[in-house]
Amino acid sequence: MKPALKYALIALALAVAVAVPFGLEPRGYATRILCLVLLFAAMAQAWNIVGGLANQMSLGHAAFFGIGAYGSTILLVKYGISPWLGLLPGMAAGGVAAWLISLPTMRLRGHYFALATLAFGEVMRLVANTWGGLTGGPSGISVPFSKPGLAVFQFKDMRPYYFLMLAALLVVTAIFAGIRHSKLGYRLRAIRENPSAAEAIGVDTTRTKIIAAVVSGALMAGLGTFYAQFQFFFDPDTVFSIPAISVRVAMIAIVGGVGTTIGPIVGALFLIPIEELANQTFSDQAAGLSQLVFGLLLIVVILAEPRGLLEIGRRLWRWRGRT
Amino acid sequence: MTALLQISNISKRFGGLQALNDVNVSIARGEILGLIGPNGAGKTTLFSTLVGLLKPSTGSIRLEGREIAGMKPHRIASAGMVKTFQNVALFLDSSVLDNVLTGGLLRHSVSEARALARHCLAQVGLSDIADKRAGDLSFPERARVEVARALCTEPRILLLDEAMAALNHAEMDEFLALLRRLRDGGLTLVIVEHHMKAIMSICDRLLVLNFGRQIAIGTPAEIARDPAVIEAYLGRSAA
Repeated sequence: MKPALKYALIALALAVAVAVPFGLEPRGYATRILCLVLLFAAMAQAWNIVGGLANQMSLGHAAFFGIGAYGSTILLVKYGISPWLGLLPGMAAGGVAAWLISLPTMRLRGHYFALATLAFGEVMRLVANTWGGLTGGPSGISVPFSKPGLAVFQFKDMRPYYFLMLAALLVVTAIFAGIRHSKLGYRLRAIRENPSAAEAIGVDTTRTKIIAAVVSGALMAGLGTFYAQFQFFFDPDTVFSIPAISVRVAMIAIVGGVGTTIGPIVGALFLIPIEELANQTFSDQAAGLSQLVFGLLLIVVILAEPRGLLEIGRRLWRWRGRT
Repeated sequence: MTALLQISNISKRFGGLQALNDVNVSIARGEILGLIGPNGAGKTTLFSTLVGLLKPSTGSIRLEGREIAGMKPHRIASAGMVKTFQNVALFLDSSVLDNVLTGGLLRHSVSEARALARHCLAQVGLSDIADKRAGDLSFPERARVEVARALCTEPRILLLDEAMAALNHAEMDEFLALLRRLRDGGLTLVIVEHHMKAIMSICDRLLVLNFGRQIAIGTPAEIARDPAVIEAYLGRSAA
């Protein structure tokens, strides 16, 4: 694609993204779903730094997400600290957690890395459930209501949330794209494609992987705060969930196009609404039918093109050009 | 002349196998040293040990007087010694230019590394395929890309592990001319090669390994008439 066309498409997509909420009911269901689309796109993009650029299949990213959600919310509940300030220690804690889990999992590849990170996410869930004094335990934690406004990160309508989620997605995407074209991005790609060769031409593979993990974990934690302020209530089983967070963010990036800048956005635009639609359509039918339909759809997409929707789009584009 | 690389008493043991047994050699700045020996003699093991992909069981490796034995490969690359791989280890999904550029990141920013990478590709005569995907190249092309990538790290000493395999005569002559130019530019080279005519013509000295043991070192002419070398290659009756 020519650069001019690319920038035109980006500008168009942004214009549509800004315009869409004004055509929708501000407290409506559709705006709420779009907020989730943007949030999950940003989460999948944060995951993409580790899962895409470094090709390390993390299934434990809920750990960092939950740390961020709990971090800012505990500070708000116990000390009245604004979520905007609580965001920072939450992100720092997410980064530190990512650094700590990187050390023992550094040399693991493929399935072994996935299993180790999966276990780490589960450990965090158990800790949050058990350490009731800090987290409120299994009964969850609520964000105390205050007078709505940007300063307290609370709003009556969905629309401000929508724009904050959009801003978060743009920031995470800009960081991802920046990393891709930086030294770090080239080094991560080198490690992904041939770790020994990368090391032999001067890439510090350990350091490179840790930096990627820390950035990814910190961003994920920051998005945890956004989620907490959006949902007002959550418990350990929600924010540290394997299917609802860890697997879902990986799935979104993979279905969209893993390692690409717009893959996670395409993936979230596709998966989140379809999941909602399947729930709505089939929830009054047999139990679990919506999950089954959703799962089958995922299988079809991945069978059709393992590199994701973006690649299917590219193929269609080329095919259109030929006829 | 002071030694650029001083290898002293290097041994490497894998379980019961003595892959390298007391190797000693001192390589001068600007020298081209050939490393020869029958299959399994320990040539690739020696290379891997020198650049830190393997840790020597005993011994010392000094690069410009600095002990590097046991250091991680990226530290050794940064100190100025890199190697190419016998089976060619490129980043196959990346473009040729990006492969070479990654080497340049060791000492430069991305944009500087890109300019340097174009220069290195021109040196090995591959400017016209800079944008091709590395995985789509022929084997001889890949080997040359790997040399360009190693050059892009701006090494003092470059170890080439059979970089000339699968080259035809014309390509090999070109490659030997490139090696001479690099040497004239101040680079020190150690090369493993099975093509005897090529190695005899370009090397200042040859080091012969057999069963991990250093059996001879000397000029190509000396090595060609060394009884121990003839025995190792052709068997006892020939000597």
